[in-house]
Amino acid sequence: MSNALPNLNGRVAFVFEERDFDVDQIIGVKNIKIQDVAELAALAMQSYDPEFQKKVCPGDVVVGADNFGYGHPHYPPMRAMRHLGIAGVIAESFSPGYWRGEISMGFPQVSCPGILGFVQRWDDIEVDWAAGVVRNLTQSKEIAFEPLSRADRQMLEAGGLVPYLKQSSVA
Amino acid sequence: MGYTITEKILARVAGLPSVKAGDEIMAKPDYVIAYDFPGYTDVYFKQMKEEFGIERVAEPDRYAIFIDHMIPAASPKEEELHIGTRKWCAENNVPLFERKGIGHQVACEVGYATPGAFVVHFDGHVSQLGTFGTLAMGIRRNILEAFVRERISMKVPHTVRVNLRGALQKGVMARDVFHQLVRVMGPSSCRFQVLEIGGPAVSTLSTEGLQTITGLAMFTGAVTAIVNPESERLQYALSRARKKLEPVVSDPDASYAAVHDIDLTNLEPVIVIPPTPSNTRNLTDYLGIEIHAGYLGSCASGRIEDMRAAANVLRGRQVKPGFALNVVPTSNELMAAAAKEGLIGALVEAGAFISSPSCDYCFGRIATMTANQRAVSTGTLNVKGRMGSPDSEIYLCNAAAVAAAAIEGKIADPRRYL
Repeated sequence: MSNALPNLNGRVAFVFEERDFDVDQIIGVKNIKIQDVAELAALAMQSYDPEFQKKVCPGDVVVGADNFGYGHPHYPPMRAMRHLGIAGVIAESFSPGYWRGEISMGFPQVSCPGILGFVQRWDDIEVDWAAGVVRNLTQSKEIAFEPLSRADRQMLEAGGLVPYLKQSSVA
Repeated sequence: MGYTITEKILARVAGLPSVKAGDEIMAKPDYVIAYDFPGYTDVYFKQMKEEFGIERVAEPDRYAIFIDHMIPAASPKEEELHIGTRKWCAENNVPLFERKGIGHQVACEVGYATPGAFVVHFDGHVSQLGTFGTLAMGIRRNILEAFVRERISMKVPHTVRVNLRGALQKGVMARDVFHQLVRVMGPSSCRFQVLEIGGPAVSTLSTEGLQTITGLAMFTGAVTAIVNPESERLQYALSRARKKLEPVVSDPDASYAAVHDIDLTNLEPVIVIPPTPSNTRNLTDYLGIEIHAGYLGSCASGRIEDMRAAANVLRGRQVKPGFALNVVPTSNELMAAAAKEGLIGALVEAGAFISSPSCDYCFGRIATMTANQRAVSTGTLNVKGRMGSPDSEIYLCNAAAVAAAAIEGKIADPRRYL
């Protein structure tokens, strides 16, 4: 009933090494109420890499540490990151509130214990959903990630919560 | 092998003889709860109609809406949101609770904390219904699923069991217990799991205190918290329950992902330093830091025992001039009880500003701190900007410690006033 999830193929555009990372820091708490996505995108990552916008390419991913998204995550930071072309987040593990929120936006999240030591910034990687592995193409190695639950997978395949619910209310 | 209370509740709402942690199920929530908030309820109400063609919810008594944010409204725009909410509830015949207090507390008062029930909300602090043996989960935007369908898709969570033992010392409160759990177990210790609170100390902790502990469960990574309900809790909840359900409890041989034993005997008052709820420290290591504001309230704290603790500290003393102490009882029922007990009078006489119940002091709406100001707070969070400028700071602590700081204008040990 749904298309298979396309593999993620891109570079590791940034590695957030801090555990319990509060994603609001990506745009800065003082900007959290901004709605305009272009404005948000211009502010994103400024305290981490002021050149981020110039370096990032569509399809790139970011990598996080344990309990990524802890605190009180808001949606604008990842709206900004998607606008810049970020196609997904791979982390050692995720905080549930963040995870649910972003999956419901149709934004791929990959829980992959070991990812921090497995990639370096700007490595080329591939997330192969069917094989259940993240491949580091730069370093020619692969690592297994934790499978998505059925509902999470269907939600990502559908492109987010609303299309998912529309699809399954007919099915 | 036995079952956890969570597995038992979810088996019933999935219509299955039994379920085990890890099973993917379709569960029918007994209650679907939300508060009106821009970008949330107004969007769901619109989406239901426009995207899903749902004009009326099928079983209106399964739904409950609270108006507790933006109370009182401070602009026509906020009032418009409330008007839209009132209209939707009236059209759908859905119960609406407005200006009764903070919804998670009011939900307990009006019987949604039915022992054995399964409740969903978009806001995770609904977990405090777990005090009464209710499985109550905050599922963020996925709540839309519960508005447009009878059942929601979910995975049965594993459970982390925490056995509490030992009695609390004077000046130590449930608030300290929760933050101690985060310190001992870690902020991701219960990720995607249920935090089940048990052990001999549970019967000595107050119902209010357990609401504090369960209501903050998300900061251990838990999807909710739950207590096997016993005497005082059952008495409270069953007399108010909106539905007749057989209360359930975990089997002695239930299977847990982890079991922690935590002794509360030597626990001291703690303080959670900015900017994350994972930073629990001993309060005594931070004495003397200058503080400009204090907030006693929120869905987590702001109940009778919190106001009583603050009044005990402040009675016969005065809030330091220039220090802004805001006390916001969690609900009208609690505010009235506090007034009868003389707590409101004692706090006002000491110089506290008392507001009627509202979420607004906690979620960043009444957030006035300027750069470099600091607050002590019983609010839910100490992240940057939650009470004003991103360059202000929030220290979380118990209600007695908020009162002690209000007297001294700096972080102070409440035990010297008790």
